[in-house]
Amino acid sequence: MSSSDVPGARLRRSVALVWRTLRSMRTAVILLLMLAAASVVGGTIFPQLPNSAPRVARFMVDHPFWGKALQAAGFFDVFGSWWFALITALLFVSLVACLIPRSRAMIRTARQRPIQARELESFPSYAERRVAASPPEAAGKAASVLRRKRYRVELDERGGAVAAEKGALREVGSLVFHWAFLLLLVAVIFGKGTGYVGHATIVEGSGWTDARLNYDGQLRTGRFFDGGFSGTQITLEDFNDAYRDTGQPMDYRSTLDLANADGSVTRTAEVRINHPVMFNGIRIFQYGYGWAAMVRVAEGNEVLFDGPVILGQDTPKGENPLAQPWIGTVKLPTLRPQVGIALEVFPDAEAYFRSIQTGVPQPMTQDNAPFIDYQVWEGKLVDNSLTGLDTRFMRLTSSGLLGQGWTVNLERGCVVTGTTGALPGALSSVTCPHASGPGVLTMSFPELRQYTTLQISRDASVPYVLGAAILIVLGLLPALYVSRRKVWVRARADGMATILQVGGFSLQRKDRFDEEFAGLVAAVSDAAGPVLDHATEEARAR
Amino acid sequence: MTTEQWSQLSSDAFNAALFAYIGAMLVSFAYLAFRKERLHTAATAIGIIGLLANGVSIITRAIAAGRTPWGNMYEYSSLLTFLMVLGYLWIVEARARVRTVGGFVYALAVFTMAMAVSFFYVGPAALMPALNSYWRQIHVTSMIVASSLLGIGCLLTIVYLVKLSSERRSTARLAAQVPPPIMGASVDTSDPSSPPDYAGAGDEPVGNVEQDRRIGLPPSATLDALAYRFIRFGFPVWTFGVICGAIWAQQTWGRYWGWDPKETWSFITWVIFAGYLHARATAGWKGVRAAAVALVGFVSLLITYYAVNLWIGQLHTYAT
Repeated sequence: MSSSDVPGARLRRSVALVWRTLRSMRTAVILLLMLAAASVVGGTIFPQLPNSAPRVARFMVDHPFWGKALQAAGFFDVFGSWWFALITALLFVSLVACLIPRSRAMIRTARQRPIQARELESFPSYAERRVAASPPEAAGKAASVLRRKRYRVELDERGGAVAAEKGALREVGSLVFHWAFLLLLVAVIFGKGTGYVGHATIVEGSGWTDARLNYDGQLRTGRFFDGGFSGTQITLEDFNDAYRDTGQPMDYRSTLDLANADGSVTRTAEVRINHPVMFNGIRIFQYGYGWAAMVRVAEGNEVLFDGPVILGQDTPKGENPLAQPWIGTVKLPTLRPQVGIALEVFPDAEAYFRSIQTGVPQPMTQDNAPFIDYQVWEGKLVDNSLTGLDTRFMRLTSSGLLGQGWTVNLERGCVVTGTTGALPGALSSVTCPHASGPGVLTMSFPELRQYTTLQISRDASVPYVLGAAILIVLGLLPALYVSRRKVWVRARADGMATILQVGGFSLQRKDRFDEEFAGLVAAVSDAAGPVLDHATEEARAR
Repeated sequence: MTTEQWSQLSSDAFNAALFAYIGAMLVSFAYLAFRKERLHTAATAIGIIGLLANGVSIITRAIAAGRTPWGNMYEYSSLLTFLMVLGYLWIVEARARVRTVGGFVYALAVFTMAMAVSFFYVGPAALMPALNSYWRQIHVTSMIVASSLLGIGCLLTIVYLVKLSSERRSTARLAAQVPPPIMGASVDTSDPSSPPDYAGAGDEPVGNVEQDRRIGLPPSATLDALAYRFIRFGFPVWTFGVICGAIWAQQTWGRYWGWDPKETWSFITWVIFAGYLHARATAGWKGVRAAAVALVGFVSLLITYYAVNLWIGQLHTYAT
């Protein structure tokens, strides 16, 4: 019975085959190209949920069947899909399978001394010189020359033989590069997997606590996230945006009061673009900003809504967003019929007035006599979003202007209190000073504030990722540029003189080695006292 | 001088450089065809004039904008062209003494500049706050340097493949040459693939002579070595540039990597060129297959550079 009939042996052979296949460079190249192809799919061909969820949603509406099929196969989240993970894992295994034996071999080589060689004539580079020194002396001189040139040298003085090698750094660099690449993969997966990223919107003067509910859905957690938010308390003291004369933004900065969960550690911090702050294990970045209208809506004396309305923008392509009004909504779902108030806020009435006069849109960067253009809709609220108002099941009942400090009657769209003179002449509003009373829906606008959007993230592995990235670059340079060279020298007596044989080769960058070798031959023979009758040797060396 | 004047000077110098490169390209191709020494001298001179104009355009642009002149795609393209032509004149012509591939490099330079004028022109202006980071400077500089090196490397790879196939054709033709018919048989002269009438002289290397007259390119081995030299230089620079970009992204957006299209494509390009370097060290992949990988890398490089800004969009679009 031959060994091939034993099931265990067959299994072992298949495992060995799979292992050999995984170890081969060809597999690594193919896996790398597959990784590139998968990234093309994720980077370009299909919209991705983490980056452009609205485009995915549109695709799902336009192509319901294909949308579902592609989603099931993970094509809308390629970088989180099982098959991307599979390619990465295979690459990972292939790398490890290749790196372990290579690392072992490198350690083995590092322990070994250079080995002597015979028949130096057969090496690609070879030269002979007659020198005056005795063979042991000549070999010793050659060894010290090579040592000075940073070769690892093994000297057999009695035998008059030297073995030297250089360029082990190439393999070290290559191994450092590949191990660092592995470390990078592990650190990225660990950091993203156990961390979270979210966006916090905070209005000037108010506070916010790092907890799941407060992200309003603007949160992404890693697959292995343990649910532990930091509980950090953030208060926005002040938000400051600066612009150039041309209206281009120059800087945004949020002045924050920070405190940890139990308030035992506090600090103030300024977060600017490109200047994040690290506190209590989370990183806080300046992400966005905008205006928040402080609005109060009352029915008679009963306050229905009182607080900031976070305003956003919906800028047509090609327009300067700063010249556009800010939009937001107040939703009153408890009223029957339900009421939604759409707000268009103009932070700088003067700039807006100039826009109308000159026909050139003026940026509204300052809080300067702000006013609101509102529309009151009645009917059924169907849009759950914070800023949008779906008016398909609603009808417009009134509209008008609301300046800062005014109160308006929402049923008739007229101004109850407030000096309409504060607005530029082109914008006028109807007044109705006696139209307030019990049961009348009114809205007032005490002030405009700014809000900041901060990105909050926790990623414990960032320093490791950075360290791995540095190692990648550091390893890459010797891996590509150092060449491995071996040189041997043998000295034998020839009458009164000594014949010095030098042979060697380079595994990489062979064109450069020729020059280096000629220099080595000259240095070695110079050190041993050259005898100047080597015309024949010159000829032989060629 | 006022900002407008500097800006105007920059545009004029840009146009001068573009026309000089077009001239250098035509003369270089003429040199390739006719091999007259004078043509080569002229091509190099016109190329250097173009390079100087290109440099003037970049410097005056910096003065007009009051910042380093790599803040948008137009400026990147100008700098990229400058570095490609500089790299070609310095490394390929002056150091490696390869003269016949200039036309291809100038063609790529002309393409880059024409794309810049047609799709990416914007006046000199200050940058948005997210771009105010010294990591951006390092990132952008490395990416442009790497792009120019990888671009030249890929171009040389294309020339290598052309040369290799012509060499193979001529070898095959030599191998196909049967002894001339002595009696009874005849050569079908209507068949264009049949050897010309003087092919009978077996000792004359017909294919090589003819081919040398037709395509006077350096031997394929030289081209391959030169291409490898550029890509080997470009790859670590690209790696470094991507890492600096990640550090900048961490600072600005709070994540070092987010699979944004430009990030994804720079990763794809990196992976492909990593594949190229591995392929060169793999039995059975050396030569044509490795060159094919480099060509895929070239396409990926162009997509990373152009397509993301022109069609795909997202975070990096502010750079346009």
